[in-house]
Amino acid sequence: MEKILAGDISAFEGIVRRWQSPLVNLAYRFCRDQARAEEMAQEAFLRAYRSLDRWRGESAFSTWLFALATNLYCSELRRIPVRTVPLDDVVEPRDPRAIDRGLEEEDRDRSVRRAVFSLPAKYREALILYYFHDLDVVSTARSLNLPEGTVKARLSRGRDMLRSKLSSGWVVPRITKEAL
Amino acid sequence: MKHNDLDRILSTEQEIIPSSGFAASVMDAVRREAEAPPPIPFPWKRALLGLSAACLALAWVFVASFTQISQGTGDQPLPPWYLSALDLVLAVCKNAGATWIILALVLSLASVKLSMRFASAEH
Repeated sequence: MEKILAGDISAFEGIVRRWQSPLVNLAYRFCRDQARAEEMAQEAFLRAYRSLDRWRGESAFSTWLFALATNLYCSELRRIPVRTVPLDDVVEPRDPRAIDRGLEEEDRDRSVRRAVFSLPAKYREALILYYFHDLDVVSTARSLNLPEGTVKARLSRGRDMLRSKLSSGWVVPRITKEAL
Repeated sequence: MKHNDLDRILSTEQEIIPSSGFAASVMDAVRREAEAPPPIPFPWKRALLGLSAACLALAWVFVASFTQISQGTGDQPLPPWYLSALDLVLAVCKNAGATWIILALVLSLASVKLSMRFASAEH
């Protein structure tokens, strides 16, 4: 870190290589588009490079980096949102003729992920980060720069909204592939 | 659907691998950033002088107006030059349609505020 702050740009490459996969994957969870995820991750690295001197070492570098990236991804997606569908349009009645269990489960999983994208941003962001951080509320709260209580409330409300929509039966997706 | 089902589905997320040139592309962008000349800082020192002068002038106008009005409310009437200046300002406002301009500005402000409130409530 000291090398980078002293002007050694090549030292920053180590950080990029170490954190490229987590940052791209986090961005992908926000936008579901690899090209856009890489663009957003690149911007996050650039911002990290610009504001590296503001990282005082009080928190782990990863915490700081994820908070910075999360802030960027959230504002970027509020600026240009992902194409989503209203929550009511996500669920369709289960097809009783569906006999392929594996296919049905695959459809269900896909529909749940789509349903997450139809949630209001504050619930969606909390859910995305919570599952990205392996169900860790503390890390989620740090990334979102919110109190843990607020994150828990948003997670609970977000999951209730998802569950109430999906509880009528497993889902057959109606929306087109590009809507994701 | 149970909590566990949601947790299981949303936890098993497909991992993507960044494209092979991603790190190089980031480093190119970082180098360009490092080589670019620093942005020209806003000339606060010069601007501060002008802003201070403007604030002082504005304060002087307010104080002078207040003094004149308070003097005019007593036995002494307002001086004629003050009344004629006031007439002139009112005439200009009337000719320029100041009422409509103010009304339009207030309406625009209200609509902007309302839409921002709706947008933030949606999020």
